[in-house]
Amino acid sequence: MTRPLRLRLVLRDLAAGAAFGAMAVSGQLPVWALAVFLLTLVLALCNVRLVARHARLSALLLLVAAVLLGLQLTSGAMNAVVAACSFAGLIAAQRMLSAPDGAADGQTHLTGLLMVAGGAALSGDMTYALCLIAFGVLASLSLALGVVEAAVPDGEPVPVRAVLGPLSGGVAFAVAGAVAFFVLFPRLNWAMVGPRSAPGLGAASSAGFSNTVRLGGAGTIKSNPRVVLRATLTPDPGRDALDAYWVGRTYDTFDGQEWTNVIGALQTERQITLRPASDTLLHQRVELLPAYGGRTLIALESPSRLGNALAHTPTGTRNSTVQLQGGSEVRFTLTAPSYTYEAYSLPPDAKAVGSLALRQPEKDQLLALPEHLDPRVAQLAARVLQGEKEPLAAARKLIAYLQRDYAYTLELAGNSEDPLADFLFVRKAGHCEHFATALTVLLRTQGFSARLATGFFGGARLDGAYIVRAGDAHAWTHVLVPGRGFVTVDATPPSHRTSQASALLEKVLALYEAVEARWRNSVVDYSFRDQFELANALVRPPRQPAQASTRSSRLPPMRAWLTAAAVAFVVWRVGRFLARRQKRAPRMEATRFLDRVDAQLARARVPRFEGESLEDLTTRFARDGHPLALALVPLTRRYLEARFGGRALREGEAEHLLNTLRRALEAEAARRVPKAAEQAGPTARAS
Amino acid sequence: MERLAAQLGRAVQGKPSEVQRVVTCVVAGGHLLLEDMPGVGKTTLAEALARACALSFSRIQFTADLLPADILGAQVFHSQTATFSFRPGPLFRQLVLADELNRAPPRTQSALLEGMAQGQVSLDGETHPLPSPFTVVATQNPVDFSGTYPLPDSQLDRFLVRLSLGHPAPDVEARLLTTRGAASPLASVEAVTGPEELASLRAFAAEVKLDAAVAEYIVRLARATREHGDLERGASTRAVLALGSAARAQALWEGRDFVTPGDVRAMLVPCWAHRVLLRSAVQGVSARDEAAHLVEELSRKVAAPR
Repeated sequence: MTRPLRLRLVLRDLAAGAAFGAMAVSGQLPVWALAVFLLTLVLALCNVRLVARHARLSALLLLVAAVLLGLQLTSGAMNAVVAACSFAGLIAAQRMLSAPDGAADGQTHLTGLLMVAGGAALSGDMTYALCLIAFGVLASLSLALGVVEAAVPDGEPVPVRAVLGPLSGGVAFAVAGAVAFFVLFPRLNWAMVGPRSAPGLGAASSAGFSNTVRLGGAGTIKSNPRVVLRATLTPDPGRDALDAYWVGRTYDTFDGQEWTNVIGALQTERQITLRPASDTLLHQRVELLPAYGGRTLIALESPSRLGNALAHTPTGTRNSTVQLQGGSEVRFTLTAPSYTYEAYSLPPDAKAVGSLALRQPEKDQLLALPEHLDPRVAQLAARVLQGEKEPLAAARKLIAYLQRDYAYTLELAGNSEDPLADFLFVRKAGHCEHFATALTVLLRTQGFSARLATGFFGGARLDGAYIVRAGDAHAWTHVLVPGRGFVTVDATPPSHRTSQASALLEKVLALYEAVEARWRNSVVDYSFRDQFELANALVRPPRQPAQASTRSSRLPPMRAWLTAAAVAFVVWRVGRFLARRQKRAPRMEATRFLDRVDAQLARARVPRFEGESLEDLTTRFARDGHPLALALVPLTRRYLEARFGGRALREGEAEHLLNTLRRALEAEAARRVPKAAEQAGPTARAS
Repeated sequence: MERLAAQLGRAVQGKPSEVQRVVTCVVAGGHLLLEDMPGVGKTTLAEALARACALSFSRIQFTADLLPADILGAQVFHSQTATFSFRPGPLFRQLVLADELNRAPPRTQSALLEGMAQGQVSLDGETHPLPSPFTVVATQNPVDFSGTYPLPDSQLDRFLVRLSLGHPAPDVEARLLTTRGAASPLASVEAVTGPEELASLRAFAAEVKLDAAVAEYIVRLARATREHGDLERGASTRAVLALGSAARAQALWEGRDFVTPGDVRAMLVPCWAHRVLLRSAVQGVSARDEAAHLVEELSRKVAAPR
């Protein structure tokens, strides 16, 4: 085995680095894994193969790491995906530092693929895509160089410079092909990719609503940037940051651990009215994106009417009815990756929020307390309120107290017997669910009707619409004010209600956000539906009701024809090009073969008429019984077949025929020399 | 094809390459024009062909007073039924030997023309299909012999191949003298194939692959005749097609299913020499030789595909 090509190893290690980067950009990998891998990468790039001589020892270390990761996983301190990704990184590191043989190369690339897959499960960021492309390019180049290296005989230099050009061209072509594949191939549902980190609202999906909110349960990632909702508001508020509450559902029953509802499904209709409408309604056209993953309709606080839903399934768009659930939740009856629907909400500053039609069991629950509530909770509430009787004022007092004395944290508290008491009296830190639960329960102990609401807080303006991210998931409190209905109060410190960018970096982030939004819309959340709509937009004019009434042509518009013509033209050109290429290639080969035969015949000074083709020459020789005919006849036949009969020369066949001819020519020359000496006359060269 | 050529060789001795061309022409489905001095075996060759292929055969001796009705047939009045009915003439055979074609007046020659081109005969507003395979083997004496009407160019164009046999070699002639006693040479010709086999052979020849490069070669040859300074009129499109089908049949000799430039060159002179018109006023045999020479020269000048 010769010394492996340095460049190939560098490319391989860089590819592994890019693959690790694809996971690292999610920001969820533990710091020690990052450190270990970075160290490994530096060592590998310096060509220090640390574990080349200690393969067993390093394998043992890997095993230990696997056990440790497993323990962390079972203790709930680590997500399964994160653990798997970390371990993949460790394996890659071990392989990169081993002796660089063929097996290690293959395994390094394989772990690279694993890490890229892990990165896809962790995040779908634009940076992930960059890492993915870098990995693809570097790994392809490294693999291709490996092939070239294997083909070069031992001891000879590898023609790196000569092959890098065509290789780069090939890789560029492959990337272009992958992009085309991405755009044109029917898409699978993104929800199939796997579990995404749940941003504080239940564990099922990225932002899905479960039937319960469990305190201290699943991990909360407020930084998940995926867009779950896009809404167009009429009238348009015109603000860049909406900072509004988007309510999904409410909970009325708390058992000390988790929030539930007393009532299940109610009626199913095209449209559900939650509150009587007022004069000024805020209309929302909402699109729930696949990242949302739930079936609960979202609307701005306080929703009045929801419905007219369309479910965009992978097989097409269908009307979906909606179902009213307990806790004022409205759900789609169809399951689909994405939905669009309409919602009408009362404006946030409306004085008279219409009274909500609540069922009797729900009303009864608004003051219910957990059975084993810590007595200190009620004492705390009484101490803070000091006899305040007005519900809204009481809520404000409690909020001021909570925001002053309690810290916001996303760190997990671990399982606890009484998470509420743990939050209020021990940790004095928690996230929005803790704050909202605390406020609700504190209010209830003092006889104020209240309930927990979950949904999103925020709304960033993008292309005239407002988007809400998975990281904007939030929980807050509804307090019942007599004569006004439920009023939204929020105990969470304002700076932690939504994921906010640093003020200093705002400009840079805005630019990045714009690019990333485009990336997310056209890549991450690009679905079968988008493909369908792209095709549809090419065929049908955009829906404009005003125009539709005046012009009712059923013919497809001009651009549909143009597109069809362009596509047909491209297909035709490509087909012709390929057909020609396919035809030409073997022919050129046959002609090259003929040139070599002619050259051989000329070198051997075989007498030939001017312009006499090989075919004619062979015919003449065969007729005259010339000794060369024996070699020429099969050769000529194969040439003619290859050139005119469409039966190309096989691999090595040309060489074989040429060798036969050369031997025949040599024998002929040997025969002619004594004869020429005998006759002392030159062979007639006809012309 | 080999068997056919062997049988023909029995009748016409010492002319293997000419016999080969004749068979090629028949397989290509074309009509044959034999042009030569009297008495070199043109008629014998045609008759031998008919025998070897087991085709229905008729021989029409063209004379100066031959009328179209004499070859096509005529409406005959039956007095008993008081109706006319068509009585087919000698043209209604699979192989027709038009002997000394250029002795007939142009009117009769034209009557043959429709039959050759369309494979059918129009008479009194009715068309009568000719039997299949329909092949005309015409013989003619060189035009400078007295009492002949030169064939119109349009009719010449309808013959796929024109051949001249020429005098046999002296030793062949000598052998003829010694062996040809009482027995006619035609008697030794056996039927080795039938109309069906001939038809399938023709179908086979039609399927021979003609590569685009070879087709382009034929077209370049045609262009060269059209642009040649000594030629009044070059090869027509029909001449191009004729050369293509002749080359296809020629390819079968080598057992190939594709045409090579060599096939094209082999059939070039027999196919085209009678179709080009010389600019000079030379007539007769020398004109024929001149045309053949020019066409052959072109085949060397025009570069074959490699």
